[in-house]
Amino acid sequence: MNNRILIVEDDESIASAVALNLQVAGYDCAVFDDGRRALQALETDHAYDLALLDIMLPGVDGFELFGHMQRYNIPVIYMTAKTDSASEIKGLRDGAEDYIVKPFDVLTLMVRMEKVLRRTGRLNTVYRVRDIELNSETRTVTKGGRPVYLQPMEFDVLLLLLRYKNMTVTREQLMEEVWGYDYVGETRVLDIKIFSLRKKLDLGDAIRTLPKLGYRLEDR
Amino acid sequence: MKLWQKAASACAGVLAAVVAVCSGAMLLYARHTILDMSREQVRTKQRDLAVSFSEMAGYYLRDTDSDAVRDSLVNYCFARFADNTAVLMRRDQTLSSALDIDPSDWLAPRADPVPVPEPWGGAYRDQTFFEGKIRDRDVLMAASEVVVRQEAYAVYVVEDVMDIHRSLTVMALIFLGVSLAGVALGAGAVTLLMRRGARPLAALSGAARRIAGGEYDIRADVDTADEIGALAADFNTMAQAVQDHVAELSETAQRQRLFIGGVTHEFKTPLTAILLHTRLLQKVNMTEDERRQSLAHIERQCTWLERLTQKLLKTVALKQQIAKKQVPVRELIDRVRASTQQLLASRNVALETACDGGTVFVDEDLMQSLLVNLVDNASKAYDPGGGEGRVWLTACDNVLEVCDAGRGIPAEALGRIFEPFYMVDKSRSKKNGGSGLGLALAKQIADAHGARLEVYSAPGKGTAVQVFLQ
Repeated sequence: MNNRILIVEDDESIASAVALNLQVAGYDCAVFDDGRRALQALETDHAYDLALLDIMLPGVDGFELFGHMQRYNIPVIYMTAKTDSASEIKGLRDGAEDYIVKPFDVLTLMVRMEKVLRRTGRLNTVYRVRDIELNSETRTVTKGGRPVYLQPMEFDVLLLLLRYKNMTVTREQLMEEVWGYDYVGETRVLDIKIFSLRKKLDLGDAIRTLPKLGYRLEDR
Repeated sequence: MKLWQKAASACAGVLAAVVAVCSGAMLLYARHTILDMSREQVRTKQRDLAVSFSEMAGYYLRDTDSDAVRDSLVNYCFARFADNTAVLMRRDQTLSSALDIDPSDWLAPRADPVPVPEPWGGAYRDQTFFEGKIRDRDVLMAASEVVVRQEAYAVYVVEDVMDIHRSLTVMALIFLGVSLAGVALGAGAVTLLMRRGARPLAALSGAARRIAGGEYDIRADVDTADEIGALAADFNTMAQAVQDHVAELSETAQRQRLFIGGVTHEFKTPLTAILLHTRLLQKVNMTEDERRQSLAHIERQCTWLERLTQKLLKTVALKQQIAKKQVPVRELIDRVRASTQQLLASRNVALETACDGGTVFVDEDLMQSLLVNLVDNASKAYDPGGGEGRVWLTACDNVLEVCDAGRGIPAEALGRIFEPFYMVDKSRSKKNGGSGLGLALAKQIADAHGARLEVYSAPGKGTAVQVFLQ
């Protein structure tokens, strides 16, 4: 079951970019460009795991929306161009989980989203690609319903590729996440892990090598 | 050194000098007078003594007297008149003296001319006088020779004037004490006066320090009728000017901060969109359709940034001097019409103009820009697809007016519409390509002309913006 994200952002370009990025990575997104319309929609459907709110919104602004989010028990991350500390303080004191200042990078946003989702116990722990299912809680992987044994490092690499599905994950990112921040050893060890993942899970074409960039797990 | 200290020491110095000169002169004069008197006294005393002695001795003595009788009679007669300052000598022999000195060592009585005989058989000669130091004592001495019965006697009076000197010293000391007290009193009085006088100065100085510390609303509370009061009044006038100026400067700075804040905010949204789409293109495997859409977003945001920059540049460039000249109103209106034609046509809005055929004293490029902005704004008051709209541009008697019959501006927004980046309805403005700078620019141009902008609006009925030229 994918995490459902509510996005309220009046700038269409920003909203579409964030939504598309989150969708390919495995989130379900609902986008509204107006606070009032978002509120109307919430009345019938409020099963969201997280809300990304712009503060300067036509109709009902982000701070006002926040009250309603609390009513529906939806954690909030503000996406704001307001860098003045007054609004940050107001945002966080009111109980927003986090805020991110424009211009931002979706990867940063996703990391913060994951933190909030994990903290509130809503983070999706089951990732799927093709007939493969990875459970990050039990650390098990099945293919076509049958368990597949993966080394811990192979598991971590696969988890990262799945978390940022359809997005390029750089070699540096992988090394950092899986081997730790100051790993200085041979990076070819990563190629070996990718090779065995492709082989064990039959992901030869799904894990794409992007020369000089990194790897991308594609399912579209 | 403080002012009162300077004044007090100057005063003390002058007082001391004056007192010193005065009392010195007085002392000298007193000494002179007293000594003169003493001299006269000594002379008189000696003369009286000599006369009295010679008369009495002449009366009593006989030529037949033996030496012993004569000496005792002489001593007797002298003792009748003498006191402890008198000395009687016969030749070198002291007959009677209470002194421990021999006055003949210093003063010899006159020996010639021949004494004048007196009826009683005596005679005396003119007095001689000595004044000087004898054994560390200041002494006045008078002497004369007296002849009694062919025998010459010398009568001396020796007066010690050390007492006079002592008295003079005491007097000088008293003078010194009194003048010191006078000087001290004078200096004290001056100090008191000066300090009281300087109190307003301290108040002024305190006020100046507080103003320097940023409390520009402080005024010196000095209400004296003297020069310091005048200075305080001038000071307060200056403080007021400084306060006004500072307020103006900080208002300008505040406006600029708000403006820059607005600029930053306005840039962040398109920049965020561009950044996000660029990352999408870089990192995500997108379909061809998604890729095209992303690129379109980027292009749109870049175009938007470009227009924002242009408008900003215009707003900022306005700071320079404007070139006003007499411009026929009709010409100005024609230029506005020409440059808004396409835009208005695309929005299905018609422009109706009317003018009185006069001239206005303006910078025509800037005034055109102002009117174009107002017309552009007015044309956005109509909903797209809601039938043909109408914008009226009227010029009459140095007043330019742009009217529409559109949706109007809510009363609570009226006060803010000239602020940079303020938009009544942000999402609609953006769809219309509004930057929130058009009216701010119009306001700046009006300000640069010294013109007044007024807005009247009734929601649902329309808006009128008037430019009152000087």
